[in-house]
Amino acid sequence: MHPRVEPFGDAAVLITLADDATVEMAARANALARHIRVAAERAGRSWPSIVPAACSVLVQTGETPMPAALQTLEALADRVGPADDRWPADAPSVEVAVRYGRDDGPDLLAVAEATGLTPAQVVEAHASATYRVLFLGFAPGFAYLGALPPELVIPRRASPRVQVPAGSVAIAGSYTAVYPIDSPGGWHLIGMTGRHARGEGFDPAGVLMPGGIVRFVPERS
Amino acid sequence: MSGSAPALEVVEPGMLLTVQDLGRHGFEHLGVPRAGAADTGSLTLANRLAGTEANAAALEATLLGPTLRILRDVTIGLAGADLAPVAHPGGRQLGIGRSHRLRAGEILECTEAGDADRGCRLYIAVQGGIDVPVVLGSRSTSLVGAFGGHRGRSLQAGDVLAAFDPGKGRASADATPETGTAADAGSTLAPPARSGEIRVLPGPAARETGGEQRLAALVATAWTVSVNSDRRGLRLDPDHDTASNDLAMPGDRPSFGVVPGAIQLTPSGQPIVLMPDGGVTGGYPVIAVVVRADQSRLGQLVPGAPLRFVRPDRHPSVIVRT
Repeated sequence: MHPRVEPFGDAAVLITLADDATVEMAARANALARHIRVAAERAGRSWPSIVPAACSVLVQTGETPMPAALQTLEALADRVGPADDRWPADAPSVEVAVRYGRDDGPDLLAVAEATGLTPAQVVEAHASATYRVLFLGFAPGFAYLGALPPELVIPRRASPRVQVPAGSVAIAGSYTAVYPIDSPGGWHLIGMTGRHARGEGFDPAGVLMPGGIVRFVPERS
Repeated sequence: MSGSAPALEVVEPGMLLTVQDLGRHGFEHLGVPRAGAADTGSLTLANRLAGTEANAAALEATLLGPTLRILRDVTIGLAGADLAPVAHPGGRQLGIGRSHRLRAGEILECTEAGDADRGCRLYIAVQGGIDVPVVLGSRSTSLVGAFGGHRGRSLQAGDVLAAFDPGKGRASADATPETGTAADAGSTLAPPARSGEIRVLPGPAARETGGEQRLAALVATAWTVSVNSDRRGLRLDPDHDTASNDLAMPGDRPSFGVVPGAIQLTPSGQPIVLMPDGGVTGGYPVIAVVVRADQSRLGQLVPGAPLRFVRPDRHPSVIVRT
């Protein structure tokens, strides 16, 4: 589809590249965000913020009048395409040790039931995949990782938790994530990592950036 | 770089007292919300009245205001909701939209709760600005991230806040500390009859099939701010005579970037107006977005306050006040 470039209020523009969230569209959105930033830097300017997401980019326009912002961003949106759908091969890679199930993964049994797999099969499927950081959002440092193996794709919980502890490994839809801080959350908690100590708050240096590669490794109990 | 010295001690924080400035810009791609004052217009005015920069760190008080002990002679600026602060001893009333000189040993106490007429948030600024570390470009408190402001949390009894020494020649050019008033900078706390009208522009969901009807229903409904509202978002309850069934929408679309002022429709039909601590991405459809100039007024809406949306793109006779 042709990108939709539309005002988002009077101080932002939303560029939608697709209506479906895929690993490729997240790469394209990330590439577009980079193009937008670089083009502004070359002009000696900057947008207040540029936020790539599942298949779109939101640009806050600051003092730039909306018609000029739309024109500039339409031109940039037209330049991304299938060539931008690949994440870089040489991206930083991290392995995350996970204690799956029991008290560390209170939703593992429910996920098994919903998917028709055994708990061991859920763990095997989750830990066998290689994930990319697709985008950040929802909370400081919250990285959406994809894509989850299709047999694990289920909707998020009917009722969210008021408090999910930092370090929780979770799945929902086609994504998995590690909660970087204590926060409310509606995803299924299948394990726990020691990567983020509870109560320490947000650490910008610890953020997994888009394009990064993540693998989960079951810890022996 | 001039020094700083203790200026205020929190005796009682009230409902929610935090250090805020004009917010943290440019880190949304890390999932970091803007934070900052929910009413940036009033924070700016309070700072100018205190004789300091618009983006200096100040206190944001909510609904029930604080009691503060003054630790050294200091000029403060007050703007926003009239929580009826008084200075002890003596009980002299400290008017909102004014600057005041307070002396070491005095107590500032807020004596009235916020409401639909008085507003929700009072800003207390100090000449020189509050001295807390700059984190990711701002002194605002990120309550969701537990960083910034005063130790990443709301203020508690016993907390001591320092303010920078104003130094020579740093008084604001816009207001004389001893005599500044609200008239020059323009109070954001509009008269009650107008304070409940918030201008919105169509959001992406308004351009989808059925979107115009939903936007029309949003605008036609008389809303009340729900008690389940906070710095992350205002939840809205409809007046039953005007309630519409059109506003429930599934919330499972791919996540996209959002901004404070975005109005989300949820599966329950209860709209959410995003506020500065709200998530920077979301999967709920956005039916409309509050215009930037009216976002400060969102910060003065108390639970129970009436609220209606108006469309300047459909009614050009609406006066555009900045």
